[in-house]
Parts: sequence; C-alpha cells; structure tokens
Amino acid sequence: MERRLYFVFGDVLACALAGGGAGLLAFYALPDDWLAVFGMLGGMGLGMIAGMLIGLLLSPFFGAMEVMIPAALAGMVSGMWVGMMHTTISLSDAIGTGSGIGVLCLAFTYVRHVRLHGTVDPDDLDLEDKNNE
Amino acid sequence: MNKSQQDKWDSAAGFYDLLEGFGPERRWRPYKQKLYSKMNGKILFLAVGTGLDILSFPPNQDITGIDISPKMLEKAQPRVEAYAGNMTTQQMDVHELKFADNTFDQVFTACTFCSVPDPIKGLVELRRVLKPEGTLNMFEHTGSFVFPFNVMLNFMNPAVKSIGPEINRNTVANVKAAGFKIEKINHVFLDIVKTIEAKAP
Repeated sequence: MERRLYFVFGDVLACALAGGGAGLLAFYALPDDWLAVFGMLGGMGLGMIAGMLIGLLLSPFFGAMEVMIPAALAGMVSGMWVGMMHTTISLSDAIGTGSGIGVLCLAFTYVRHVRLHGTVDPDDLDLEDKNNE
Repeated sequence: MNKSQQDKWDSAAGFYDLLEGFGPERRWRPYKQKLYSKMNGKILFLAVGTGLDILSFPPNQDITGIDISPKMLEKAQPRVEAYAGNMTTQQMDVHELKFADNTFDQVFTACTFCSVPDPIKGLVELRRVLKPEGTLNMFEHTGSFVFPFNVMLNFMNPAVKSIGPEINRNTVANVKAAGFKIEKINHVFLDIVKTIEAKAP
C-alpha cells in the first residue's frame, strides 16, 4: 500500500473530486422523469467519464494508474448512486455524498491492492484470458 | 518502420515529461530502481523515450537504448550523455530490430508493450536478439483479472486507446506466447502495474 503522504493525499483528492464531480454531473445532466434504474445506468456512464477525466488531469501530479483507476471507480459508483437518487436529494447532498463514496472506493481499492500486491507464482495465473484478443 | 507510431510519439515528445516526469515517474521509481538493479552484461533498453528511466539506472552499465521516435531520442540525449556508464541510442522499431541474433544478455522495457502495435511480434524480436538464457525484465501495466477493475479497464480501453496506450492487454500471456519462460511476476499496483521477469530458451 502507498505510504508516501504526498501520494496518499493525491489519491484521496482524486477520488473525492471524482466522486463529487460525478455526483454534480449526474445531478444536473439526468432528466427528473427518468426511472431510478435508468438514472443509475446513466449516472454510471457519466460518472465513469467524469472520474476518468479527473484522474487524467491529476495524473501528472500524483501518478498514472494508481490515480486513474480508483478515480474512475469513484466516479462510476458515485454516479450510480446520485443517478438513482437525484430526484430526491439536494445538490449539496449529491456532491457531498458523491465525495464520500469516492473516498470509500479508494479504501476498497487499497484493500484489494493489499491482497494482490507482491510476488505471484506464474503458474497460478490464468494466461488464457481473452482480454487482448 | 511504422510511420504512424513514429508520428504519434514524435508529436508527444514536446509534452511527455510534463505528463510523466513528476507524478508517475516518482511514484514508480522505487520499483523501477529495484528492477534495474538487476542490470548486468550487454543490455538493450526498449523505448527510451525522453530518457526518464535513465535516472533510475545503476551506474557503470553497457546499455543500448532504442526508440521509434527521433524527437524522443533528441529529448533524451542530455540524460544519455549524463549517464555514468556506457550508453548509446538508436532509432529503431521493435518489430524489426537491426541487431544480430544473440546480441544481448538482458532486455529491459518500461511501459512499452501497452503501445507496441503487434506485441507478440515485438517480443519474438526481443527473444531473437537475446542470447540463450538471456533475461527479459519488464515494468508494464496490463489488464486485470479482478472485478471490478477488469470490467472497468475493458470498458475504458476503446477511449484510452484512441489517445494513447491500451490498458487491458494480457502482457504476461504475450511474453509466454513469444516463447519466453516466465520466471517471476511482482504486482506493484493491484494486478495491473507489475514487473515481469522472463528467460529466453
């Protein structure tokens, strides 16, 4: 896990901004008459785009994948929540809760990182993955 | 020589250090230094770029650096000259290396095989120029096998690919498909950023 304070600060800032930005975007961009499920899907897409952009903007200062991946996740999850709830919450709730969700997404990423980092046995890897085919 | 790739990296040379030189490079430097500490013998370093990685090289090594972009190599020149060892650079495409078979003891790459158009062909070329039992040492970002990151990377890849590298490649599988024996994999960030150590047969 990242222990250098500067980079930890950058991770928190990126995820809080991505979550808050996704909340703001979902709050304003989604029509009020959309069903919650469509709002959630629309918010997810908008949120991921917002998260990616904020991650890209902060990447030169704080790191590449370590910033962009949790920021995109933060945007996606925050956008989903605000998209689902946007007709029943205020703008400040959309931004505030979105930022909180962003920080929780960073915590989730850190926990997954602790489980995954370090040396792995090459024989344990599923090399048949079709990602790049 | 792939002209579109050359043009792409030529046009990035002017601002590459602004994007990569501070945050990403400083974040990864401890892991790169650990990988580069294994340098020994006659070394090929692939995709030198503007030479940011040279700052992490151990001194007194014999290194040949290549890059497809002459403008990147031009930017790298002051760092090449400042390196405390023997280092030269050449413009070259990894798909068609001009070196003879069995030339190098080691090959190093850093964040390269996310952008090589035909990664397996490039890796086969690296195997050709490596001596038998020579080692391939890579610092790369790849796709993920872990939910939700695998889904996100696959979803984001078309957009990212249009402006830069691919972010969902299975580089470990590509190394194996090119005929290398994987010796060690170390995850640096999730299972996405990693070092890969492999040996030529």
